[in-house]
Amino acid sequence: MKVTTERQGGALSICVDGRIDGSNVVEFEEAVRAAIGDEDVVVIMDFGNLLYVSSAGLRAVLLTGKRLRGRKSELVLCSLSDPIRKVFEISGFDKLFAIHPTRGEALSSLAD
Amino acid sequence: MKISLNNDTGEIRGAAERIDAYCASHGVPADVAYAINLAVDELLTNTIDYGYDDDGAHGLEIVLRMDGSVVVVEVADDARPFDSSRTTAPDTAAGLEERSIGGLGLFLVHELMDEVGYRRDGGRNIVTLRKRAVAAGGRRVSDSR
Repeated sequence: MKVTTERQGGALSICVDGRIDGSNVVEFEEAVRAAIGDEDVVVIMDFGNLLYVSSAGLRAVLLTGKRLRGRKSELVLCSLSDPIRKVFEISGFDKLFAIHPTRGEALSSLAD
Repeated sequence: MKISLNNDTGEIRGAAERIDAYCASHGVPADVAYAINLAVDELLTNTIDYGYDDDGAHGLEIVLRMDGSVVVVEVADDARPFDSSRTTAPDTAAGLEERSIGGLGLFLVHELMDEVGYRRDGGRNIVTLRKRAVAAGGRRVSDSR
């Protein structure tokens, strides 16, 4: 798994490459925690290169969302593949987070 | 096909690759293979993280077979008795602040599989998963046993 970040359009984008499961979720959580600065009010998790996520990864996403909400910031998701989107929907995460088809659409939704 | 592994979550990926290969060679659509792998991962991770009363080495076993166009997976362990066929749904209607962080793994297993059975046999938990090998679009695959 590889985590890279980019700041554009007033948002921090966190891109995840590979798999998030029970064996590396701590690494994912640490990378996300380190990436998010106090000044970031919108965080986009770009899952375009995410191949697989288990409930361990879903919990990490949920915890990140809760932490950001606690400081009046927002977590937005984008670019989920079909099987991953299905898992997020079954888990009810589509009601907790805005999920956009692409990062471009996530960014333009912020401008609205 | 039988896959043996130790109680180390780092070994689940290797098992997943073998499950993918089995599914591909039996004409099981990729989205069904994905669901099976996720269900197996959740069961194994639950057992490895929470199932044992000691820190010792334990063996787990996955058996895959086709029953016509249904993929049947048995996951066996020698952990504490735990009935994975019973689950409670997380509150998927709760808001972000209220939403509990637990209980998702087993819920996903039940949502993604057609059937989840459990029996305790000879000191082992044996969970049986059944999933029809039909693509998301409804296309049936031939029985390629």
